[in-house]
Amino acid sequence: MDDGALLERVRRGDEHAFARLYARHQSAIHRYALHMCGRAAADDVVQDTFVALFSHPENYDPSRGPLLNYLFGIARHHVVKRLAIESLIDPLDETADVGADHATPLDVVSRSELVAQVRDAIQGLPPAYREAVVLCELQEMEYAAAAAIMQCPIGTVRSRLHRAKAMLTAKLASLQTPPLATTRPTS
Amino acid sequence: MNDRQSSDRVLNDALRTIADEDARAGASAAVEAHVMAEFRSVAAARRRRVRARVALLAAAAALAIAAAIPLWRSQTSRREVTTAFMPLTYGGVPIVDGHVVRMEVPRASLASFGLAPAESAEGAASSTVLADVIIGDDGLARAVRFVRRVGPRDRQQSIEDRQR
Repeated sequence: MDDGALLERVRRGDEHAFARLYARHQSAIHRYALHMCGRAAADDVVQDTFVALFSHPENYDPSRGPLLNYLFGIARHHVVKRLAIESLIDPLDETADVGADHATPLDVVSRSELVAQVRDAIQGLPPAYREAVVLCELQEMEYAAAAAIMQCPIGTVRSRLHRAKAMLTAKLASLQTPPLATTRPTS
Repeated sequence: MNDRQSSDRVLNDALRTIADEDARAGASAAVEAHVMAEFRSVAAARRRRVRARVALLAAAAALAIAAAIPLWRSQTSRREVTTAFMPLTYGGVPIVDGHVVRMEVPRASLASFGLAPAESAEGAASSTVLADVIIGDDGLARAVRFVRRVGPRDRQQSIEDRQR
C-alpha cells in the first residue's frame, strides 16, 4: 500500500496505517535530525514530525511531492527551531576559498578513525553545508529533492555540497599528524 | 591519481560508510511508543468530537420535529368545517362497501339542502363549494356533506361559538 493510501486511512483514525507509515519513514527522519541537531534532539524531532503528520494530515498535498519530502520539511522546521537560527541560510560567502584545493590525501589514519573524524567534521560544518551533506551524501537524495527540502535552487545545493566536502577535506587534513597539508617528502 | 582525487575518494568512502552504518539507526522504541500513544489519544478525541456533533444534530432534529408536530396537527385538524352527511336519492339503498370522494359542486346546490351559502376561506366569489360524497361499491351516490375551509378568524369564531 502506498503512502497516499495509508495517509487516507490515517485521516480516518487507522492506527495500523499510521504505524506502517511510521515504520517506513522514521529512520530517514531520525538520521537527518541526528546529524543536524544531535542524538539528544533527534528523538524529539522524530516525535514532533509524526505528531504533526497525524494532527494535520490534510496539510500534505501529494501534488507537491512524496510524503517523505513533506516529512523532511516538517522535521527541518523543528531542526531550525532547535538550532535556534532563523533558517538554514548560507552563513558563508559562496565564493570564499576554504583551502580545499590544497588539502592532501586522507590515507594515513585507519578507516574507523577516519570515519569517526568525518562524523565529527560533519557536526562542525555550518548548518547549511551540513544539511547538504546529510541529504545528498548520507541520505543519498537526488539534488532536486534536496533542493525542495532545503528551499533553494538545485545549483545552490550543488555548490553547498561541493564546498562542504572541501571543508571536510580541509578539516580532516588538518587533523593528520604530522600535518599533511603542506608536508611532502623530498628526495 | 593526484592528491585531490585521492582525498575525494577517501572522503566519499567515509561518507558512504557513515550512510551504511546509519541506515540501521532509528528513533528509540520509547519514541515510537509515545507517538503511537499520542495518535491513539488524538484519534479518540476526534471520535468523541464526531459523536458529539452527531448527537447534537440528532437532538436538534428531534427538537425541530417535536416543535413541528403540534403545529402541523393544529393546522391539519382545524382547517375545515363540515356539515353532517345528508342522504341523497339513493341513500336508502343498502351498501356493502363504499368510499368517500371529494369534489367541487356548484355553490347553488347548498340551497337545495336548505343551507345558506356561507363565505368560505377562498372568498364568496367562488362559484363552487367542496363536498364529500359517499359512493357505494355499486357506483351510486348515497350521501353528501359540505366542506368549508376556514381561516384563523373563522377558527376563533368557531371556538367562541363552542364556548357559548
